[in-house]
Amino acid sequence: MNGVLNIALNGFREARRNRVTSVLFVFAFIMVFSTTVSIEFTVATFDRVMTDFGLGVIGLLSPALTIFLGTALIPREIERRTIFMVVAKPVSRSAFLVGRYLGNVITVVFLVVIMSALFLIQLEVAGASATFSTGIHREHLVALYGLLLEVVLLTAVCFLFASASSQYVSSLSVTCLYFIGHMAEDLYTFANRSKLDVLRYAGKAIYYVLPNFDRLDFKARATYFDPTSNSELLSITAYTLAYTALVLVFATQIFERRDFK
Amino acid sequence: MTAAVSIENLTKIYTLDLLKGRRRVVALENLTLSIGEGHVMGVLGPNGAGKSTTIKLLLNLIRPTTGSARVFGLDPSNAEARRHVGFLPENPAPYEYLTGEEFVRFAGGLSGLRGAELTARVKAVLEQVQMDRFTGVQIRRYSKGMTQRIALAQALVSNPRLLILDEPTSGLDVLGRQLIRDIIVAEKKKGTSVLLCSHIIPDVEALAEDVAILIGGKLVRSGPVSEMLSSEGSRVELVFEGVDAERLASLEPEVIQVGRRLTLRTGADDARALIEAAQQAQGRLISMQPIRHSLEDTFLDAVRSSQNKVGSTIE
Repeated sequence: MNGVLNIALNGFREARRNRVTSVLFVFAFIMVFSTTVSIEFTVATFDRVMTDFGLGVIGLLSPALTIFLGTALIPREIERRTIFMVVAKPVSRSAFLVGRYLGNVITVVFLVVIMSALFLIQLEVAGASATFSTGIHREHLVALYGLLLEVVLLTAVCFLFASASSQYVSSLSVTCLYFIGHMAEDLYTFANRSKLDVLRYAGKAIYYVLPNFDRLDFKARATYFDPTSNSELLSITAYTLAYTALVLVFATQIFERRDFK
Repeated sequence: MTAAVSIENLTKIYTLDLLKGRRRVVALENLTLSIGEGHVMGVLGPNGAGKSTTIKLLLNLIRPTTGSARVFGLDPSNAEARRHVGFLPENPAPYEYLTGEEFVRFAGGLSGLRGAELTARVKAVLEQVQMDRFTGVQIRRYSKGMTQRIALAQALVSNPRLLILDEPTSGLDVLGRQLIRDIIVAEKKKGTSVLLCSHIIPDVEALAEDVAILIGGKLVRSGPVSEMLSSEGSRVELVFEGVDAERLASLEPEVIQVGRRLTLRTGADDARALIEAAQQAQGRLISMQPIRHSLEDTFLDAVRSSQNKVGSTIE
């Protein structure tokens, strides 16, 4: 357990000292801050535009950062052979992978939390002016929570692919899977209307087997202040944690069998 | 007593180009050897001989195709097998964003050291590899020699009972090489077993008690270094100055002439006649010594008898 924690904290330290992460963070900061600028070009419904824009930016940047960081880490360790001196210690490969996963999750969650805080501050400041109906609403927080769950699950999917293939193959595959996961409900509905059995089964298979990122997306609900029940939040939390654990089990099984030439 | 390393019929085959038809690379074939506790084993071999493959198999970096390896009686896939092992890879690549001290501390933490014990060990090994002045500098700013020393420090930090060193002195200056040789000698005195893979044969000759020569993935010779250093029959090497090689040609020695200096190799029985002939020709004897069969000669003989086979076997 100490090995996992050591590796996780070291991974977070790596991200803090990595220039690429710093540049990405500055870029994300500017993008989220531009939410305030967006209302300068708006005639009415300022709060909806601001919510749409702010959550949209975070919803675009957080998976992009997750895929970029999550798919690069393990292949880079193997390519540069930095992994040799770590797995030669009394640490199992599974512990190494889980430690690296946790380090990456801490990094992306940290980035999402900072972006979210900036977004919420802008909402609060704007909410204090007379032109806005509300400041921070519960549905804003629910949408941000959904984004956090999404990066936790997406990082696990990145590690599953990265444990078996190169960075390029992994990032391409995970990006495709991310979009499919966001269309899972639509694909299911579309497939159910088909007269072909094969398509119906394929639609169901995609819906049940692939990660359903659509379930974690509350951005549209936040825009229209559509409430989400506590039981639904509990359900998506359990879904995310269970799916993440399952993906990590598969990833460690693959990683345990891999040769580091 | 359990051997530090025990290898039996170990074979590693890689499969290449699956789309173009199966091609097999035999990186290691039926290797059997063992290293007793407190022994230093040198492994020699040209590029692609299987030295690094053997190390990777012992550290669970790759999996064997057939055969078995044991480290302190445990399978390398068991993390506990590596509890008492320190490993210095060839061209080590520590995390460059860490300082030297942070990296050694990280390595010590992974080995199970904590608190005051970890701090004390980190300080001790940094002094041992003479890197205590550069502890706060990020590894990305280190020279190759400094990186090698920090990598050795991380291998030593847990007080290992087995040190696995892959080309520990490659790319180092004379001082760096001497330091690493001194550390190996000190570890040997403490009773640490050492597996030393190197291209630098004099290092192996000076440090190892036993040696294994691998060529093309196969073990072609192994045994105590002392047995491989036996004198070469009763031949001697004589060095003269101021004598022409043609004046001594009748005695048919091996001759190397550089300027006025003449080096001759001949049987001990012919040495007296050569000296007399040289003195008659107004030559001066500079030195005379028995020819010693070095480990390098043994290695070259082994390579020649394997028909200069270099690299792994591709089938």
